[in-house]
This record gives sequence, C-alpha cells and structure tokens, in this order.
Amino acid sequence: MKPLSTWGSSRNPVKFRIPTSDNLLPIRLDIEIDGQRFRDAFTWNPSDPDSEVVVFAKRTVKDLKLPPAFVTQIAQSIQSQLTEFRSYEGQDMYTGERVVPIKLDLRVNHTLIKDQFLWDLNNFESDPEEFARTFCKDMGIEDPEVGPAIAIAIREQLYEIAVQSVASAKESRMIKKGRKGFEHIPISKAGGIAVDLVKSFGNKSSVIRKRKEWDVFEPIVDLLSNEEVDALEATEERNAR
Amino acid sequence: MGTDNNHHHNNDTTITTTPATLGPNISNNNNSSTANNKSPPKPPIKPAEPPTPTTTTTLQPFGSFPNTADSDFISIPSYSRWFSWDNIHQCELRFLPEFFDGRSASKNPKTYKYYRNAIIQRFRDNPSSAPTKKITFTEVRKTIVGDVGSIRRVFDFLEAWGLINYSPSSSSSSSNKAAAAPQQLSQNDNKDSSSSATKSAAAAAAPPPDAPPSASADNSTTAAAAGGPKKRLCSACKSPCTISCFTSDKHNLTLCARCYVSNNFRVGISSTDFRRVEISDVVKTDWTDKETLHLLEAIMHYGDDWKKVAEHVGGGRSDKDCVARFLKLPFGEQFVGAPESSEMVDNQLTSRRSSFQNKRMRLSPLADASNPILAQAAFLSALAGVEVAEVAAHAAVTALSDFAGVKIKANLKSVPADAKQQDFDVASHGDTAYRMDGALAEAQSELEKEEEDVERALCEIAVQTKELQDKIVHFEELDLQVERESQQLQQLKDLLYVDQLTLLFYKAAAHKSGESMVESVKAE
Repeated sequence: MKPLSTWGSSRNPVKFRIPTSDNLLPIRLDIEIDGQRFRDAFTWNPSDPDSEVVVFAKRTVKDLKLPPAFVTQIAQSIQSQLTEFRSYEGQDMYTGERVVPIKLDLRVNHTLIKDQFLWDLNNFESDPEEFARTFCKDMGIEDPEVGPAIAIAIREQLYEIAVQSVASAKESRMIKKGRKGFEHIPISKAGGIAVDLVKSFGNKSSVIRKRKEWDVFEPIVDLLSNEEVDALEATEERNAR
Repeated sequence: MGTDNNHHHNNDTTITTTPATLGPNISNNNNSSTANNKSPPKPPIKPAEPPTPTTTTTLQPFGSFPNTADSDFISIPSYSRWFSWDNIHQCELRFLPEFFDGRSASKNPKTYKYYRNAIIQRFRDNPSSAPTKKITFTEVRKTIVGDVGSIRRVFDFLEAWGLINYSPSSSSSSSNKAAAAPQQLSQNDNKDSSSSATKSAAAAAAPPPDAPPSASADNSTTAAAAGGPKKRLCSACKSPCTISCFTSDKHNLTLCARCYVSNNFRVGISSTDFRRVEISDVVKTDWTDKETLHLLEAIMHYGDDWKKVAEHVGGGRSDKDCVARFLKLPFGEQFVGAPESSEMVDNQLTSRRSSFQNKRMRLSPLADASNPILAQAAFLSALAGVEVAEVAAHAAVTALSDFAGVKIKANLKSVPADAKQQDFDVASHGDTAYRMDGALAEAQSELEKEEEDVERALCEIAVQTKELQDKIVHFEELDLQVERESQQLQQLKDLLYVDQLTLLFYKAAAHKSGESMVESVKAE
C-alpha cells in the first residue's frame, strides 16, 4: 500500500481553500461589553466586499437592539477573522487521500446533537449546508436554528484541518530546504488525522461498517427540557471560566 | 411633495390578495399551527425542494369572518403581484444576479428559491395576534442555512418589494419607502455596491452620512418623508454639507463649515451674519402648513402652556420652536386673546392670507375630527366661503340621489327577479327609493359574500390537494428507502451464509486431515 500514499503526497498541491463547493468562511463571535455577552456564529462569504462587514454589524446591532458600542467590536472581530483567512489563501495545501472523521457535539436552544461521520477532504464539491439541511429534515428537527449551527460546526472543523495541512506543507517545505530525505515526513504529519481508507476497506471486508461501530457513528438528537438547558448552561459558563 | 404622496398612494393599491388574483398559493397564517400539530414530523420551515412550501389548510369559520378578515389575507403591494412560490420572475433575475450567473456552484436558482421561500414563510408564520409583525434580518439569518451576505441581499430585496414586513395601514409611509427603495435598488443593480453607495447617498442626500444605501432604505426614506431631503451645497466650494453649515439669510448664502472657518466668502459679509445650522435641524426648521395648523389649534386649546403646545404639534418641535414660530406668524399676537376677539379682528382684515388663517382657526374643531372626509370638506368649504359651500352641498345631494337612482336601475337589470324590477320602477319615482336602495344593497352584498365563499372553498381544496401530493412524495421516498434497506439485509444474510459454509468446509477438511494424521501415526 505504500506506493499509493507516496503518490498521494507528491501530487501537485492545491491553492488553499475550504474544501467545500462554495468557499464560505465560518465566523464565530463572542463579545462582551459592560457585562452584556453576545455570542454568535454564521458563515461569511469572503468574496463579499469589506463594506459588507460594517453593514452587517450595524444591521445586527439594530435588529437585536444591542448598545451601539457593539458595532465596532463586531466589525473588528469579523474583519480579523477574515484577514486571517486571507493570509492563508495564497498558500498551498497538500491534499492526499484524506477521509477525516468529523464530530458534532453541540447544543442549540433545546436540541442536543452528538454525531460522528467521515468526510472526504478531496471532495471539493461537498456542501455542509446541504448536509445540515438533510440532517434536520431526516431527524425531524423542528427548531430552525439547528441547521445553520450544524453547517457552521462542520465548516469550522474543515477549516481547522485545512489550516493544519497548510501548516504541514509549510513545515515540509522548510524541511526540504534543510535536508534531502523529506518524502516520508509530510505523509506522517498530514496523515495523522486521516482515516486510512486502505486499511479499513482493504481486501476482504465489506463496505458495511462493523456492527460494534454502529453505535459510534449513529447520530443522537436529544430534546432537552428547560431545567436541563439551564443546568448545561451553568456548567458551560463555569468551564469557560 | 403632497401631490407626490397622492400619486404613489394611487399606484399602491394594497390589494387584499384574494385567491382569484394570485392563485391558490397564498398561505393563511392562523391555521398553520394547527396544520403542523396534525403532522408533527413536519418542520415549520421546509428547507426542501421549492414545490413543497408549507401551505395551510382550513380557513377561519365563517362566524368570525368580519373580525379576522384582515389576518386571513396577506396583502402585498400591487407592484409585487408577480410573486409566486414556484417561479422566479424577471425582476428577481435582475436584482439578484449573483444567484443566476453560475459563477459559484452553490449559488444557484434552487438555493435562491430556498432562501426566498424560507424568509417569506417565516414572515407569514407570524402568530395571528400580530399578523404584520416585522421580522428582522438577524432572526432570519439565524435560521437559514447559508452565507449571511447573500441572505441579507435577498432579505433586502423582499423587504423593498413589500413581500415581507409590509403593513397596509402604513401605506403612505410605506409607499414612500416602496417608491424610494426600488429606485435605490435599481441604482445598486447597475454598479457594484461601493460606487452605488456614493451614488445613492448623494442622490438621497440622507443626513446620516455614514449609512450605506441598501441598509438605509429606511433611513433615507424617513428623511424623505420628514419633509424633503435638504441638499445643502456650499455656495463657495460647491460640496454637499454634511454635518453642519452656516447660513446667512441676509445674503442668502450657505457655507460649509470649512469655508466658513477659512473665511471663504465675499467681501462685505462679516462672519456675524452667519448662523450655525446643524443639518439635522435644517430639515425641521421648515414648518409645514399642517404643523402651523396644529400649532394654532394647540394655542387655542392650551393658551400659554407651551409645553402642551409643543406636545400637540409633535414632530420634535420644542416649546422654544413653537414660540419662535408663533411670533413669526404675521398675526400671532391677535390669537393670544379669546377666540371671539379673533373673529372681530377678522372683519377688519382684508388680506387673503390672514382670513385664510383665521378661518382655519375657527374651523379647527371640525378640522381635527376623526373623520378625514369631514375634515377635508370643512377645509374646502372654508376656502370657498359659506354661501358657495351651501349651494355646492345642495347640488351635491341632489346629484347623488339622481345618480343613485340611475345606478340601481342599471344593476337591477342583471337581477332576474322581475317583481323587484317592477317594484323598483314604481318606487324610483317616489320616496320609497331609499328603502329599495337598502334592500338592493343587501342583496348585492349577499351575492358578493357567496362569491367569496365559493372562492375560498376552492382555495381550500387546492391547498389540500397540494398537501396530499406532498405526503405522497414523502411516502414514496420512504418506500424506496425501506426497499434499499431490505436489500442490504439480504446481502448480509448471504454473507453470513457464505461464512457458515466456509466454516463447515474447513471443519470438514480439518477433521479429515486429523483422521489421516491419526492413520499415518497408526501406520507407523
């Protein structure tokens, strides 16, 4: 199986982008002014002009009736996350044969979701939004805020992994300049997270998952009552501090 | 500006969308909750394929028809009549080209329809107690899966075209908004947002200088509604004044702050001639006739209590403003006394304007009556004079009665009841015309009611068939899935069988080799 992996790593690197069909950036806001806490998460299209950031910040503050001091903070936060993304944009990332596990563990209002599934990083046509929509529809989730939260969680993890692959590409390039024997190092670094497809789906076993793994990969959707929600929020805040 | 308002009001026929005009696609708010209770797995917002929006089923029972007539119907302005759940109209293509030019794989017509239908559905899902409660963009974007920039553009588009957050009661202000907003949108449409920001900001000359156009459709139109956007161009440097400017009434000049400071004006004018004017104040310093009328009324009622006068005038006029304005009025002093003295003064004055104002004073009790028609009639009769008004009123009454007779005759021809016609022919010449009027009007209204009922029933049926169709589609999918799973199970069974066979085979083989070994050992 070795020839396969070396072939994968020496493939021409691709320009950095989030490996989904549309290059959208997940943005998370967590701003605290005068004891008022504003947390939010949404997807942003980095090809929108920068004036859009201010517009959006103003609109949000106006709609949620927050004190106007939030406007600059929100705009700054969005802007800094955008520039961080843009700084990665010009660089390369290696994309080997990579199927990564994505874990969902989130609580949105009264719904608690735990799930785990495999995602193909090389599939640049993938669409977390569509996944989220189908998920909500299949699981019969009534709360409309869950969908975007799922999509954002998936995007964030994909973004993380993409960033890591960029970092490893950089390091391997630096090592390249240093020594000659570089071939195996990027593989070991980049392939750490990925699931080795060859190993699991090698010769004889079927494509169907082993029975003992079924529980791990099954989505769990829980509807919480008010007290449970309060209890969870209290523990979260305690952990945050 | 007044005529402008009227013009737009006429265009903006807020039609209550009866099913006949828009097809059976409009959803009624009140019973969406009950529909959902019947089928719990259905989410309130269906992010699925566009042909399956959640439409509601039953209408309110007829007993409560008069009260809930408003909440049963959604009204949208007449210029948005093109909207339908399933189709994308030409103007949507024009205003939101990003979804249709194929530049990005995820921005396609399907997602556009999903955003649009989801937003409109969310607006129409308002609880029946607040059928025209506005939804905010933030509420919407939290619930829609997609990137916020495009969602915002769709939201602004829908709001500008009155498909969401539209309340017919505020038709005059919203007609202003609607008139101004499509203009702004068309400007945005032509260029990209940065250049259009400057363009529409200059065009609207909205006082808040930092409000970008698409988000400030509200801001600029409220400025427009508040009495015309005042474009203050500095006479010296020809740049629009934004924050504050200096005006000199004596020389009829306006200077921006910079020019004033740098003494950039002609010789002969000293800096003391100028007074500083904040742009926010400029809009307000023009007292409209209405405000003057209010002021005079208030003074009559409240006398010296300027605080109450300011309240009555409203519009942000402080009591100082009211006093200043009052003093500026040509005959303000006369009104301080009792109203009778103003009438006496009346007779002595000859100028038209003064008599105009005094008559307004006298008529004010009627002018602020809640019936606008009466108020207008009072106003007009004041303008025309007492005798003229009397004669006109008489003529109008006789003309109306004649006209009513003619009209009812024409209507009656369509009613097949001969007896009624005979009756009416006799009656039209007598004073029983009024009784027939009443009966006929009743009959007409009954007919109309029946028509509406029939239309509603039809609408109901259409909605129900659509629901059935949705259910059938859903069940088909489920069926497919069940089939697939059973196939998988079959495969598993087969595998198991193969495993068992191989096990048996090897067992048999091992057994045999064991035997042969034993035999060989025995042989040795």
